[in-house]
Amino acid sequence: MKRRFICLTALLAVCSMSAMAQGIMGGHVTGSIQLDGQISHRDTIIGSQDVPQKLLSNARADILYTNGNFSAGLRYEAYLGPMLGFRPDYEGQGIANYFVSYKKENFAITAGHFYEQFGNGMSLRAYEDRYLGIDNALRGFNVMYSPLSGVILKGVIGRQRYFWLESKNIVRGLDAELSFNDIVKSWADAKTRLTIGGSFVSKYESAVNDWIPANVNGYKVNLPENVATAAVRMDLAHGGFGLKAEYAHKSQDPNDLNNYIFREGNVLWMSASYSQRGMSANIQAKRVDNMGFRSSRTEPYTEMLFINYIPAISKQHTYSFLSMYPYATQSMGEMGLQGDFMYKFKKETLLGGKYGTDIHINASLITGLDTVDAGGRGTDGYTSSFFGTGDTYYGDLSVEVAKKLSSSVKFAATYGYVVFNPITEGHAGDNHHNHVVVADLTWKMNKKNSIRFEAEWMGSDSKYDESIDDKRAGDWIMGLVEYNFAPSWFVSVSDQYAYNDGIGNYYNLSVGYTKGATRLQLGYGKQREGIICIGGVCRNVPASNGLTFSLTTSF
Amino acid sequence: MKKIIFTLALTLMGVVAMAQNAKLPENISLKTLDGKTVQSSEIKNDGKPIIISFWATWCKPCNNELDAIKEVYEEWQNETGVKLVAISIDDTRSAARVKPWVDGKDWPYEVYLDQNKDLARAMNVGADVPFSFIVDGNGEIVWQHKGYQPGAEEELIEQVRSFINK
Amino acid sequence: MKKTVLSLLTLVALLFTACDKIEEDQYIIYSGASGEWVDGNGVSDHTQRALIEKYTGVRCLNCPTAEDAINAAVAQYGGKLLAVAIHDSSTFTRPYPNNPDLRTATGNTWSKFFGVFDAGQYPVALVNRTPGASGWDLFNPISGINSYVDPIVNSEATIAIEVSATEAEGLISTTVNLEFLENVGDNLNLTLFIIEDNINATQLMPDSEKNESYIHNHLFREVITDVWGTQIDCTGAKGEKKMTTIDYQVANSEWIIANCHIVAFVSNRDTRQIVNVAECDIN
Repeated sequence: MKRRFICLTALLAVCSMSAMAQGIMGGHVTGSIQLDGQISHRDTIIGSQDVPQKLLSNARADILYTNGNFSAGLRYEAYLGPMLGFRPDYEGQGIANYFVSYKKENFAITAGHFYEQFGNGMSLRAYEDRYLGIDNALRGFNVMYSPLSGVILKGVIGRQRYFWLESKNIVRGLDAELSFNDIVKSWADAKTRLTIGGSFVSKYESAVNDWIPANVNGYKVNLPENVATAAVRMDLAHGGFGLKAEYAHKSQDPNDLNNYIFREGNVLWMSASYSQRGMSANIQAKRVDNMGFRSSRTEPYTEMLFINYIPAISKQHTYSFLSMYPYATQSMGEMGLQGDFMYKFKKETLLGGKYGTDIHINASLITGLDTVDAGGRGTDGYTSSFFGTGDTYYGDLSVEVAKKLSSSVKFAATYGYVVFNPITEGHAGDNHHNHVVVADLTWKMNKKNSIRFEAEWMGSDSKYDESIDDKRAGDWIMGLVEYNFAPSWFVSVSDQYAYNDGIGNYYNLSVGYTKGATRLQLGYGKQREGIICIGGVCRNVPASNGLTFSLTTSF
Repeated sequence: MKKIIFTLALTLMGVVAMAQNAKLPENISLKTLDGKTVQSSEIKNDGKPIIISFWATWCKPCNNELDAIKEVYEEWQNETGVKLVAISIDDTRSAARVKPWVDGKDWPYEVYLDQNKDLARAMNVGADVPFSFIVDGNGEIVWQHKGYQPGAEEELIEQVRSFINK
Repeated sequence: MKKTVLSLLTLVALLFTACDKIEEDQYIIYSGASGEWVDGNGVSDHTQRALIEKYTGVRCLNCPTAEDAINAAVAQYGGKLLAVAIHDSSTFTRPYPNNPDLRTATGNTWSKFFGVFDAGQYPVALVNRTPGASGWDLFNPISGINSYVDPIVNSEATIAIEVSATEAEGLISTTVNLEFLENVGDNLNLTLFIIEDNINATQLMPDSEKNESYIHNHLFREVITDVWGTQIDCTGAKGEKKMTTIDYQVANSEWIIANCHIVAFVSNRDTRQIVNVAECDIN
């Protein structure tokens, strides 16, 4: 408390001094407020519970002050009964984030809380996702310096936020990025652009209090106190061609995720693409091996205290049934391949018709690694062959065709196939194979009024089994009608129903009102228990049955 | 105690700030689709208005909005000289797909990547996209709107017109 | 330009030395926990005792009530019931600001194994690590402790156990004596751990208020042996007498050794059920 007080006083002092230094009462205060709330009741079929507080809410206000190159901000958060699916550790309220920052074109410094990403995040990514309840902001110092055009150096040091506490362990990192087209004058307008970068991130964690027994009686694991990840990356573009790649390597890091083995970790990620007007293709490949890098080796919450970020490469589907079984990166080991193809049939062609037709095809396959066990705790753990694959974790194929049928009607049809291995959510069991068909039609009646219909079907070989209690199993149908009155009102009604081999009937009614940057949304209905994933990080959300509301505004 | 400090901070900041429009944030690093780092202050349109639209490849309404504006973009440009700058907040999972996406969609916009959400944070975009701003010829943010519904582009251009006539 | 790159490379090279490289023969280190088993002099005290392991947390408002119930039971059984309080890494054990962290990695391992962490309900207790109808026989110790303890302490001991410990300059030397009173076989492990009394840490009370001067007793600190015990070198035949001495170097300066005790128990290596248990002060 005392420390916080001092920080704030300093922040206020700096704010006011800077304002005076400008000679005028200049600068701007902007910000945003978000308030989400929920009332949920017991429903034995979908498995929702009464909540003792009756009303659960998550609220936050971000206040930002800017004056020229100087800015300062703070965030007040209140979880007065954290909403369902959020870790109860969030209970409480207070100032969760504060910083002061000075930014010029070639120099920037931030003191306090900051978010940062090196390259693609495989060595360091401090970020926030408020809907997943993840905020691993670093508190400390973040410096950026560009000694000459095309060279950007960054340095960070800090400790990670952990709910209302802070991790005891120190994270520090350096990053350098060189853009050759900016460094070499004669390349400035070259068609080929090349950027390379490298980063180094390490954490310090005392081993004094961690007594991890080895799998040999009377011995304990000799824990390294400094663990580091180094990464190199490149970004090459030549006209419509693009090639991006990053490789990261992690030093010995026995921890709870890898069962305290000494094997070093690595990840290789590559993306190749070609695009031109109206056509594009993208292929991504990834291999992850023992690459969970966290600031605490014993942390039991598997989504907390990550220093790096290994993205899932499969497509983030937006239709409910296609995203019913989302895929989460297995940072301990996986191989993945993903391909995307988009094509636009032009207007006034055979397949394009009067208004043109868009087609989007996507396929991915993710498997485990081919590993050979080489002992448990306190050994190298396992060996793996680079190109070998293990069990299939996830696979999908989707084809979407979107077409404007007339000047006022847009139609999209999607077929999708998903294979999902429950082991990726930590359960044993057979793989699920699901077929999904979606029809999506929007009719714009006039300039302001439009109505949208969505119908989805999912056929699955999974059956609801009480002992596993996966409420997503079975065959499902869904319908949704949404009426929009632009730019302010919308109302939507939807229902998902398990018509075969499953249980549950999830209906929902939502109304929303938007004015400028303010939006109010009310919903009533049932929400399925399930996993929501954003950007490869997933969170389990329990079932709910009742009212939800959300108010957001910014100023 | 904390609450008192918080209120104080708010009041003080309120006093400090003058009742004028915030400017488009400067000196925030963004990436172009071919990997070049640029500063947000380089977003310019020769004294004409700019529409800044935050979007992501996985966001359906964002895509609907940018698709819809594409149909009328030429008319808008001829009439008002407006330029649309699309800022993608895709993270690593989908950032490599943004360039192929934009080309595949044949969007005529200026597109930047804001992977670390630095610009989004500086403009108080919060977690939800789409989020649109109109920046007038003086670089001041004069209008903002959250979300997109079919037909909402009409209001957007109406607003642009009104700021030109001012 | 070249200079920039060079100095960068140097910097990176320097940083690489900033991660610890542990050679393969150093992956595991002797923890001073495996004493030799030698023939002993026997144990005169043939008491059968029970161990109640309570999983608790500083943010669990019903936990002080359970603590009172356990203390009452410990007093009632007069040395036949031993207690330990374990703080795993659940949401209820997160320390209040400026308070000691009572959590341990070992406590977490046990909590996860016995299904306490996943069930997520506290307080919860387990007597002698007894299996229940399904899973482990976990119960809320606010009431009904007797029904779990009585069947154990009213039965005859199959193994008698006696423990004593001395300390000098942070090195705790624990001696355990066993005497086999029945034929029990050789499938046995010995587990030693340290508990500490009289620790002041803020505790959430049943009235939802925080008690900043709450005293935590018999708090689990650390296991001296392997987390599931070290093997007892014996035949397990009736009349056999065995003895071992195990050393442990205290590395944590927060512990006050004068307030610490050693708990020793013999358990079945496969079922992990506790056979008999003893406790001693550290001299």
